[in-house]
Amino acid sequence: MCSVSQFYSTRGIHDIDDKYKSRPDELEAILPIIPTSSLYTQPFQVPPGHDPATYLTQLAAIPSENGDNVPEIKFDHGTTTLAFKYKNGVIVAVDSRATAGAWIASQTVKKVIEINPYLLGTMAGGAADCSYWERRLARECRLYQLRNKERISVAAASKVLSNFLYYYKGMGLSVGTMICGWDTKGPGLYYVDTDGTRMTHHVFSVGSGSVYAYGVLDAGLKWDLTDEQAYDLGRRSIYHATYRDAYSGGVVNLYHMKETGWIKISQDNVMDLHYKYADEKIAQ
Amino acid sequence: MSILEYNGSAIIAMIGKHCVAIASDKRLGIQAQTISTDFRKVFEVNSGLFLGLPGLATDVSTVERTLQYRLNLLQLRESRLLTPRSFMYMVSSLLYERRFGPYFVEPVIAGLDQESYQPFIATMDLIGCPMEKNDFVVSGTCSEQMYGMCESLWKPNLEPLELFEIISQALLNSVDRDALSGWGGIVHVVEKDRVTTKHLRARMD
Amino acid sequence: MDFGTGAALPVSKPPLARQFNPYTSNGGTILALSGEDFSLVASDTRLSERFRIHTRDQPKTYKLTDNVVLGCCGFHGDVLTLNKLLAARIKMYKHQHDHEISCSSLAQMLSTILYSRRFFPFYTYNILIGLDEQGKGCVYSFDPVGSYERETYRAGGTGASMLQPLLDNQIGFKHQNIPEQDRPELTADRAIALVRDVFIGAAERDINTGDGLHMQLVTKDGIKTLDRFPLRKD
Repeated sequence: MCSVSQFYSTRGIHDIDDKYKSRPDELEAILPIIPTSSLYTQPFQVPPGHDPATYLTQLAAIPSENGDNVPEIKFDHGTTTLAFKYKNGVIVAVDSRATAGAWIASQTVKKVIEINPYLLGTMAGGAADCSYWERRLARECRLYQLRNKERISVAAASKVLSNFLYYYKGMGLSVGTMICGWDTKGPGLYYVDTDGTRMTHHVFSVGSGSVYAYGVLDAGLKWDLTDEQAYDLGRRSIYHATYRDAYSGGVVNLYHMKETGWIKISQDNVMDLHYKYADEKIAQ
Repeated sequence: MSILEYNGSAIIAMIGKHCVAIASDKRLGIQAQTISTDFRKVFEVNSGLFLGLPGLATDVSTVERTLQYRLNLLQLRESRLLTPRSFMYMVSSLLYERRFGPYFVEPVIAGLDQESYQPFIATMDLIGCPMEKNDFVVSGTCSEQMYGMCESLWKPNLEPLELFEIISQALLNSVDRDALSGWGGIVHVVEKDRVTTKHLRARMD
Repeated sequence: MDFGTGAALPVSKPPLARQFNPYTSNGGTILALSGEDFSLVASDTRLSERFRIHTRDQPKTYKLTDNVVLGCCGFHGDVLTLNKLLAARIKMYKHQHDHEISCSSLAQMLSTILYSRRFFPFYTYNILIGLDEQGKGCVYSFDPVGSYERETYRAGGTGASMLQPLLDNQIGFKHQNIPEQDRPELTADRAIALVRDVFIGAAERDINTGDGLHMQLVTKDGIKTLDRFPLRKD
């Protein structure tokens, strides 16, 4: 196996001039002598060869001695999330299904990641990628707070995450997340993904069910919604996505970001919602 | 992805005491997108004789229509009803005619013999290799899940009501671990003098 | 101006590389359950590779601390390496913090260890069991790159898709219209009986599962290894 340093050298090493433009501290790993402490901030081990990023995909194509391929290693993937701003803050609603191919690995995933009392992140794409990098983000946010005696802004937090992900661009990570929070500028909502995209807007939906969620969301979204209307809109949008999209389902988790931090509003089983909405339709 | 998984489906047939049951899900999807939640994939080709066709939806229709046509013609010509076993061979022959360009369905057959009232279930692969069983058969996108459920829940000599409960539990819990099937279920229980059909309340995600 | 086509220019090729496949699947099924005051992990004892059986006596549960056990299967080479790494990290934790690592901390540690191999994963499916801070049984399940979740029951490995729906039904009470308060509490005896039943089913249909059933029970008194239960050997 080649050493980690060989791989990193192909990407070049630059000086760090701005702490929030810095690459993650796996940089330690390129030191010729790995310090003992690196066991705690572990370097990423990469496969040998010229092109580590495509190594795993190539493996699936190599026949083994009697012609079978080693079964593909399937990771859990996440899938319908949405967030929107309205007059009373930000609503975050997500489903809870994790699939590995057509296999439903879990119906109880927490796709809203509670970074700190004023920041929420959502999970779409690789489950492990999202939870790991948003945990790393939580650490950076806490360090910022300790260094600067004030909370990190949503813009800065989302940029920290974006920089983490951009460093590994092309390596096969898969993250599509919305960073929601409240800072001195008021409610904040950013979309960040592994292509390096980072943008702000008043409404986002991410994941394979997002097209269905947008359909419901756009039809009902207004700035002046009451809290109850906003919660219902978020819930319904996720429910309709779970109905049409095979890779979304489980329960709808709903959060509200306020000036005083986030609160969890509800957790509803999609099966109950379906028959509740069906009864309401009949009653009309 | 296999073309057999393009539309998503799950079908189980089980033998009980003097009865058989066949259950299927109701989803028609195009990969991840659910198109319909009342798609029929189990057909009563004769009174008390059922054919379940999991697989590619376009072939489900073609195979069902072709088989019904051949079955009707044959029964008119011979002035008698076909036994479930003979029907199985008819399905098998139809599929083998397309040995090198198969229909993408893996049929399940369940029924009571019209004379002896012997329960009969069978399944076959997509080119028509028939397999008769005396416990249960499963076919579709979540066959592993269904095997797991049936292997633990099924026992010999189930009464019609128990059989209904067990086949329903097997189906519902299997499709709940499969993204491509589900969205409702339908169960037919065939007894000597009647067929009971029930629709299941299922998860719709 | 000359716009040379790509074909006319010397094209640099990647260096010729020979590859071997560093992974294989060694089969095996693991299963974990938890109750109010216990947790249980079970595995079959067959170690196989495609249609070949390497041994009929390789349980896939690994004792990590005095009250934490790991169920671990997939590629046996990675299973061994991962366990070696975990054992070292647990020892380091103990020396550094002067106490044994808790089940929840161990779960997070395992997650980051798995993620450290994000670009060259350990081909292992992991389920961690133990007791939580309140003495309740706990089960943590992982994907190969460290996504994890606390659950009350979970199956993993080649037979997982056969076991999991039945657990949903029998332990999760899915599709059983029984109100939450009327559901019987899971006892260790019922858990053991259920585990035997589902493994008999998995051994019947999965060629990589069979030979024997190995179970370890964690209670406040520590880890108890139960008598081996035979499964079909063909």
